[in-house]
Amino acid sequence: MSAHDLIANLERLGHEFLAAIPPLADEQAIRATHAQFVGKKGKVSELMKELGRLPATDRPLVGAVVNKVKQTIEDETARRLGELTDAVARADLLRSVDVTLPARPLGAGHLHLLTQVRLEAVQIFSELGFVVAEGPQIETDWHTFEALAIPKEHPARDMQDTFYITGEEILLRTHTSPVQVRTMLTQAPPIRIVAPGLVYRRDDDATHSPMFTQIEGLVVDEGISFADLKGVLIHFVSRFFQRDLTVRLRPSYFPFVEPGAEVDMQCSFCMGSGCRVCKGTGWVEIGGSGMVDPEVFAHVKIDPEKYTGFAFGMGLERMAMLRHGVNDIKFYYTGDVRFLEQF
Amino acid sequence: MKILWSWLLELCDLDHQPTVEEGARALTRGGLEIEGMTNLGAGFTGVVVAEVVGKKPHPQADKLSLVDVIVERGGAATQVVCGAPNVPAPGRKVLWARVGATLPNGMTLAPKPVKGVVSPGMLCAEDELGLGTNHAGIIILDEDDRTPLGASAQRALGLDDWMLEVNAPANRGDVLGHLGIARELVAMLRGKLVLPDVDLAAFQGGPAPDLRVAIADPEVSPRYTARVIDGVRVASSSSALARRIAQRLRGVGVRPISNLVDVTNYVMFELGQPLHAFDAHTLTSTTVGISHAADGESFTTLDGVMRTLVPGDLVIRDGDLPIALAGVMGGLHSEVTEKTTRVLLESASFAPLSIRRTARRLGLHSEASHRFERGVDPELAALASARAAHLLCTVGGGKVLGDVIDAYPSPRGAVTIPVRMPRVRMLTGVALDSATCRDALERLGCSVASPSPELLEVTPPSSRGDVTREVDVIEEILRIVGYEQVASKVPVLRQAPGVRPADRAELARAALCAAGATEAITYGFHSVERNASLGLSPNDRRSQPIALRNPMSADQAVMRTSLLPNLLAAVARNQSHGRPDVSLFEVGSVFLRRGGGLTERPPAELADEPTWASGVLAGRRPAQLGHGTPWDAFDAKALALVAIRAVSGEIVVRSQATKSICYFHPGVAGELVVEGAVVGWFGEVHPDVRKRLGVDGAAFAFDLDLTKLVLAGPPQMKPIPNHPGSTRDVSLLLAEQIPSARVEQVIEQTAEPLVAGFRLLEDYRDARLGAGMKSMLWSISYRASERTLTDAEVDKAHEAIVGRLVENLPAQRR
Repeated sequence: MSAHDLIANLERLGHEFLAAIPPLADEQAIRATHAQFVGKKGKVSELMKELGRLPATDRPLVGAVVNKVKQTIEDETARRLGELTDAVARADLLRSVDVTLPARPLGAGHLHLLTQVRLEAVQIFSELGFVVAEGPQIETDWHTFEALAIPKEHPARDMQDTFYITGEEILLRTHTSPVQVRTMLTQAPPIRIVAPGLVYRRDDDATHSPMFTQIEGLVVDEGISFADLKGVLIHFVSRFFQRDLTVRLRPSYFPFVEPGAEVDMQCSFCMGSGCRVCKGTGWVEIGGSGMVDPEVFAHVKIDPEKYTGFAFGMGLERMAMLRHGVNDIKFYYTGDVRFLEQF
Repeated sequence: MKILWSWLLELCDLDHQPTVEEGARALTRGGLEIEGMTNLGAGFTGVVVAEVVGKKPHPQADKLSLVDVIVERGGAATQVVCGAPNVPAPGRKVLWARVGATLPNGMTLAPKPVKGVVSPGMLCAEDELGLGTNHAGIIILDEDDRTPLGASAQRALGLDDWMLEVNAPANRGDVLGHLGIARELVAMLRGKLVLPDVDLAAFQGGPAPDLRVAIADPEVSPRYTARVIDGVRVASSSSALARRIAQRLRGVGVRPISNLVDVTNYVMFELGQPLHAFDAHTLTSTTVGISHAADGESFTTLDGVMRTLVPGDLVIRDGDLPIALAGVMGGLHSEVTEKTTRVLLESASFAPLSIRRTARRLGLHSEASHRFERGVDPELAALASARAAHLLCTVGGGKVLGDVIDAYPSPRGAVTIPVRMPRVRMLTGVALDSATCRDALERLGCSVASPSPELLEVTPPSSRGDVTREVDVIEEILRIVGYEQVASKVPVLRQAPGVRPADRAELARAALCAAGATEAITYGFHSVERNASLGLSPNDRRSQPIALRNPMSADQAVMRTSLLPNLLAAVARNQSHGRPDVSLFEVGSVFLRRGGGLTERPPAELADEPTWASGVLAGRRPAQLGHGTPWDAFDAKALALVAIRAVSGEIVVRSQATKSICYFHPGVAGELVVEGAVVGWFGEVHPDVRKRLGVDGAAFAFDLDLTKLVLAGPPQMKPIPNHPGSTRDVSLLLAEQIPSARVEQVIEQTAEPLVAGFRLLEDYRDARLGAGMKSMLWSISYRASERTLTDAEVDKAHEAIVGRLVENLPAQRR
């Protein structure tokens, strides 16, 4: 075969390949065709065996044509394969699902509303430097009453109907105030604690539960005044209800504080203009407070001339009722998921 | 305590008469919270005072009459049909419900024909106005009634008044009468107190009887006054004053009984001093004694009950004979009756503690004991005695014999309390000067001296036995100045807060919630049956709960010893609400007896209150569509591990089967072991337990004692591997009863350093594997930290482990 014929045959094969590729629709066929031309026994490879028989002078010319045809075949193969990959990717974009189907449930849990409220209250007081303190729920009469200036036979005991365990000495704490006593017995001032906890009273109706949660605060230091108490309470209710609310302290009697005060909060529903929740008064009662009575200091051996202090206590159920519109205290304790899952 | 607004105002001299709302606000601001206000006349409207000017029979009915009434002097008469038999003669006043009037039964009056005669409304009987049950006749006002014609019936009946409910603080015995509240009101509104009429000049009836008062112990009975009134006619109330007394008593919720009893009650509500009247003819001696009861002494109180007394009880005696339980209840024998004509009137002061003990011991809580328990001013006794005598003579026609016999061996001296102005300012946080303080205190009836500019010497009025210390006076000052004067500031922090360790309970709660469980909080107490529902053996501490001495109901009889019964009961409740798929947990205290019971000392060792975390799963897991797959014991295990790791970090927790936990299914229960100690259990709830608590279908639970867990420190970072690892799988055929944990143990025991971890891929059971056999497919991963392992190294390590498994389990390689 002459160099001329060889070149013509090579170029024909090139054209033949270019014609063969486009109709092929899958990768396997393209690779097979590619092998038919440039594989070990492919048509181009067969022709190249003729190359050795040509005169040396013709070889560079024919060699250049071989390279050119091979390059054409490789380029065309790559192009077509790329085209096919793109087509597959584009075809996948035609897929669709009903995105309005329900989400897959993650089984998200819920902290009890009272836990959430307690953690939040503790957080707010922590920012003011209060540290959490705790005490037992089964308490002694001394820590619960005597040391808080509520001796036996004191009419103030009528205010808190007590569950007793044995005799009159061991009981379920009726308030978190024994934590005050336990703290002051073991720690010298300055003291700044907040004591959340469960307490028990013999009382059961829509707004009273025989078990409920109080949060107690106590600050004892030099120069602590009634103004400090007011400031802490205003800060707390404003943070807790996430709006600027004021607090009204109203004279009241708790044996372990003097002066003593009922804590009224500006009604968070009507902002004080009067509504059903605050019975038209603009204020809602949230707890008791006052300056630590010198008699309490005497029981825990703190010098009442050097130190003064304030204490307050609030019911967390009530705070949660006010903030979340819970209308019966019972819901907190029945384990009803229809309630628990709302928060 | 209930008070009447008109009664209160009668005792106050104020420049400007406040409205009832202003009064209530002032009292509340001062610390006497007004808890409720009731308009006494709110039951009806449109009923007016009318005068009868003529009456004739109804032409069609014998029992009816046609009554002409006027509501204006000289005005035109209106004819009203009336069925009452007691229509009065012309000139007397009746109460006419006119057309448009509304009555307590909800009726609105319209013109209505009665047997052919149209009646514009009606003349009212007591029951029609909600004043009582009397329907025998219409109400006829007294001849001397001064209510103008046309005025509201409320005015004529004393119902144009408000009843206020005062929440009296437990330390304020002085506000248990209108006078004490009036003292507060005039202090708040800058007025003067008006004492009621106690003049007895018109009622002197002869020489004093031969009578002495003997107080055995002035500590418990500081003062006793006695007065004899003779010629009393005990009757139901009839005069205008008697009617007003009865009206007012009704207004404060007391049923009028007779003029005599009503007067003693009236004075108690007016002044706060309880009184007692004895029928003087029943007394046989000339000495009224006040002494403690002898042990076992008995005596019949006026409710007819024979009481056995103890030495602490204070008794009033006629000679040696008990005639009353001092301050609590009178005696049956000396009770005043309709026949009583001579009265011994007691007005005395007793120590609060003594009265409270007796009242509590006998369960006798009376208006009198309520007041004495809170402290009655001894200085009040003589005033109250004179006031009662004055009223009794006025309404009962009696005369006082001689003067009051007043035994007051050691009059309570006035206390003077030094009050330092710097202390006042420091405690209140208000920049008060001594003039302001002095003014406030004087408004309250204190006398105040000021020996130096920064010192006050304060003498509270005798009524204020609760004010004894400087701090009490400071509260009084602040009350009058107004708590609203206190500025607000936040206390300066003088010391860093102490370090507090992380709280196991909070860590467990957060982790369990994040793992998808819902937190419940249940009561700390429950019934004996619920505690027994777990079927615990008598040796288990938890089977002996701590009992309440005075539970409110059997459902709250004992303190819980486990969280599970309440949680399972909650599952049952949710099932009954159509919510069978639940995953609930609780973290809280359980209450366990200490060895020797609960009376041990020191008090810190009353009971153990460990914090437990428990959870229950019932029904199915959440699913996107349709029903989820049922929960199983491994969900409970997962939650338990989540809680443990939240507290203790990534520690090794072993599990092993247990048959000893009676509230779990014996074949589906595991104990969780940390460093050799059991910290809790998980498994399927025993069917008997489920049944006792009403749970339908399988339930799974875990139960952890958090106090047994060690708090983890901050987790430390482990190096991230730089070199790839390899895994090899091995399929084993082994006996079914060999637990998975045993396989893990064998792999760990080879201590092959290249092992980076292992996982169980399959646990396959099939009869074709052979009886009692199972197949397990384990995947073990290998890695070295400093280099990439060769296949040969990995193969060698793997074969060594497989060899140990085959030999030690034993197992066959498949």
